[in-house]
Amino acid sequence: MDRKTVFAKKTNVKEVNYVGPSGVPLQNPQSYLPQNLVRKDLPLPHLGEADVVRHFLGLAQRNFSIDTHFYPLGSCTMKYNPKINEDMAKLDGFVGLHPYQAPHTVQGTLELLYELEQMLCEITGMQRFTFQPSSGAHGELAGMLMIRKYHQAHKRNKTKVIVPDSAHGTNPATASMCGYQTVVVESTLEGLVDVDKLKSLVDDETAAIMLTNPNTLGLFEEDILKISDMIHKKGGFLYYDGANFNALLGITKPALMGFDVVHLNLHKTFSTPHGCGGPGAGAVGVTDALVDYLPVPLLKKESGELFFDYCLPHSIGKVRAFYGNFAVLVRAYTYLLRLGSQGLRRVAHNSVLNANYVKEKLKDYYEVPFPKRCMHEVIFSCKKQKERGASAYDIAKRLIDYGIHPPTMYFPLTVPEAFMVEPTETESRCALDYFIEAMRQIDREISQDLDKVKSAPHTSFVKRVDETKAARSPDLRWRENGV
Amino acid sequence: MPYILNTDRDREEMLKAIGIDSIEELYSQLPARIKLTKPLNLSSGLSEHKTKKRVSALAKKNVPAEEFNSFLGAGCYDHYVPSVVPFILSSSQFLTAYTPYQPECSQGALQAIYEYQSYMCLLTGMDISNASLLDGASAFAEAVLMSLRITKKKKVIVAGIFHPEYRQTLKAYLAGFDFVIREIAEGTDGLVDTEALKQALDNDTGCCAFSSPNFFGLIEDAPKLADIAKRYGTLTVLVTNPISLAILKEPGAFGVDIVCGDGQPLGSGLNFGGPSFGYLATKKEYTRQMPGRLVGKTTDREGKCAYCLTLQTREQHIRREKATSNICSNQSLNAIGAAVYLALMGPQGLRNSALCSFNNTLYLYNQLKPLKKINLPFGPRIFNEFVWEVKNAQKIIEQLYRRNIIAGYYLGEQFPEYKNGILSCCTEKKTKEEIDELVGVLREVPGG
Repeated sequence: MDRKTVFAKKTNVKEVNYVGPSGVPLQNPQSYLPQNLVRKDLPLPHLGEADVVRHFLGLAQRNFSIDTHFYPLGSCTMKYNPKINEDMAKLDGFVGLHPYQAPHTVQGTLELLYELEQMLCEITGMQRFTFQPSSGAHGELAGMLMIRKYHQAHKRNKTKVIVPDSAHGTNPATASMCGYQTVVVESTLEGLVDVDKLKSLVDDETAAIMLTNPNTLGLFEEDILKISDMIHKKGGFLYYDGANFNALLGITKPALMGFDVVHLNLHKTFSTPHGCGGPGAGAVGVTDALVDYLPVPLLKKESGELFFDYCLPHSIGKVRAFYGNFAVLVRAYTYLLRLGSQGLRRVAHNSVLNANYVKEKLKDYYEVPFPKRCMHEVIFSCKKQKERGASAYDIAKRLIDYGIHPPTMYFPLTVPEAFMVEPTETESRCALDYFIEAMRQIDREISQDLDKVKSAPHTSFVKRVDETKAARSPDLRWRENGV
Repeated sequence: MPYILNTDRDREEMLKAIGIDSIEELYSQLPARIKLTKPLNLSSGLSEHKTKKRVSALAKKNVPAEEFNSFLGAGCYDHYVPSVVPFILSSSQFLTAYTPYQPECSQGALQAIYEYQSYMCLLTGMDISNASLLDGASAFAEAVLMSLRITKKKKVIVAGIFHPEYRQTLKAYLAGFDFVIREIAEGTDGLVDTEALKQALDNDTGCCAFSSPNFFGLIEDAPKLADIAKRYGTLTVLVTNPISLAILKEPGAFGVDIVCGDGQPLGSGLNFGGPSFGYLATKKEYTRQMPGRLVGKTTDREGKCAYCLTLQTREQHIRREKATSNICSNQSLNAIGAAVYLALMGPQGLRNSALCSFNNTLYLYNQLKPLKKINLPFGPRIFNEFVWEVKNAQKIIEQLYRRNIIAGYYLGEQFPEYKNGILSCCTEKKTKEEIDELVGVLREVPGG
């Protein structure tokens, strides 16, 4: 098997002609710039085009992906990525646009953004959206900076942000980046925010609470209206981490639950591909109170013409250059057109149905720490399996041999040996049954052939990877002669 | 229903297995007050054919830059993207995989990102690079935060002409901290005023940032700026266009601490400004203060070479409120695209792109020089763009649009002192004829 890096595949091909000569006489920078500013040598390898294609397609084959494998990664909503989205994002009229072209030359794009904004406002109950944030965490940053600016403008002394103990790591990390102290509220034994404990934490210095709903345990926060009341009474805001919104599309709206700011991961709920870790898009919507603080620019329509309005004196400014990951937005827009109102509701229904089905079929094999009805994902604890010798980690690795991408493990941190399964609505019952059978089989294997589980995976391109070694002696780049 | 595979019968049987009668029961724990009683006010779903027609109609309302003779740059550059790049990035296993948390079934992504990291080190001359950040502006902000974290100081100096959107992004990222941003204006030559810089530097300064080529396209004496800054014990951050590094001195050779910027020129295309990716490369000793993901090389159980995400204790999912950044998703696919692009171009191809961009721009500069109505405020130490001034610049831009030419980026809105300024860019794609056309039209248009 070919394990060489691209650097070990260099050839003597030196002719590269992607763009012909421009007809302009060529000057060498050496003759023109001070010597200390000129580069002497550029140590990149030469490769032929066919070699490059073979190398990278060869690498691609060593990846699981949603197009090739069931990928029940909890909290990541790995649903099928429709192919029409790709075609639409690649249309010449979108790909070839420069961000600083005059508005009259990009009206189609502005119209798309305008319509997408209106659709997301309808879906969430928010007043306006920005598309600038390029990931969920980036959306959190934009949203929390808006909250911060609001409090400052209203001369409120706010110092802390409350997050549940089951929150995504990005929530507390974002609060820190906005200069807030993170206060953690514990969950009840049922897996929901402990409202009594929350009461003792909320005070005049509470800037906001950051919540996912359904929460990361896959459960709906039933006391959301009480929580919202409690926070709003103290002049705080509710931030909605929309990573788990799939379950509630067309069922309820974050605004109805009392949320003031919402980020939506378009690369999760709205089907855009995740590209090995990005690009995503973290659209952020806000209610009336916070509209003035949105990043610049905002879309504006005057006498039928759309343009970007930069005149927003209270804005937090910008969280990146230009307007966001536009090509991702085209995909999300396409998806929404395709599904429509009824389609979205069916997404929610089937995502919840699939998760509950998996839960029901596996609950006698793997412990379900929170018996309440789950939403889009279900948490198991592999505690019993661990006692028999195989950890959540071992079980996850063994799933690879069954051609299934492992679920999210050891998160939320509050569940021992956590195993977080999010099947999504785009999996068939047949695919779920295969997963269920694989999980039961692995449970049997733990009794019958423990070593097989503990030494998994066996069929993958590499065997179990030594992650400790990677961290102990970091090798983060290729070097000539390995030095 | 599109994309849903359960049949009515499946649903019925699954509900039965769960022990309930209807889908609505799945939502029984939601308070009635918050449940929608009416369908969302959106149109009904469209067939694939109709969806295609509708989205294509919007695309057709746009006029892509390529249909103009466009000289727009200003942070988003129209370099040629070889067909192989989008081809590789469309492969399902790169396009539709998640973050490579599980190394055994993600070796493709991991090795590709490791190669990307290596390429960025070779290009910048730095020790290490992360796996990408969201874009150039946020990478710049992260680099400043990283410097202040390392030095534990409060003041950052932003020297010379920066992209205005990078400055705005930095301000937003720093809003939650009690850090001080001190901006040093440019001298009359458009370059960092080194005397002003020396005066601004003091013991509270933890970071000194400059960009070269700067936003006006001018090449700073970056080694000298780095030297000055280092005398005050501050870290230096250099924002640069990665393609310029094919001909400009690699920053690693003159001791800059962090190099960052937007990787868009390396195969990302225009896309109305996104997605591209941010890059950040630094010295080995700062590895643990880096934001973002890192891929490392290790071995598997059988001792064979393998890759995995590493040093994750810097990151939010482990360190939570004490993480080096809140970043989670990055722009991996675009970073992999950059590795593919650099592999295709090789040293020769990349140098050609840089050299032709530089020469085309220089040619335009020299052609404009004799025109009386045009003022060139700065010298020709430029890379791929430069500033020129003309009376009624905004009007001239509008007039040229009607002749199918986009003259460049109008400076007056962000830089009021350059109310007649236009920033024009040439990449390697520009031809002599196209440049001559712009010059010819400018000769004709009234004004000046």
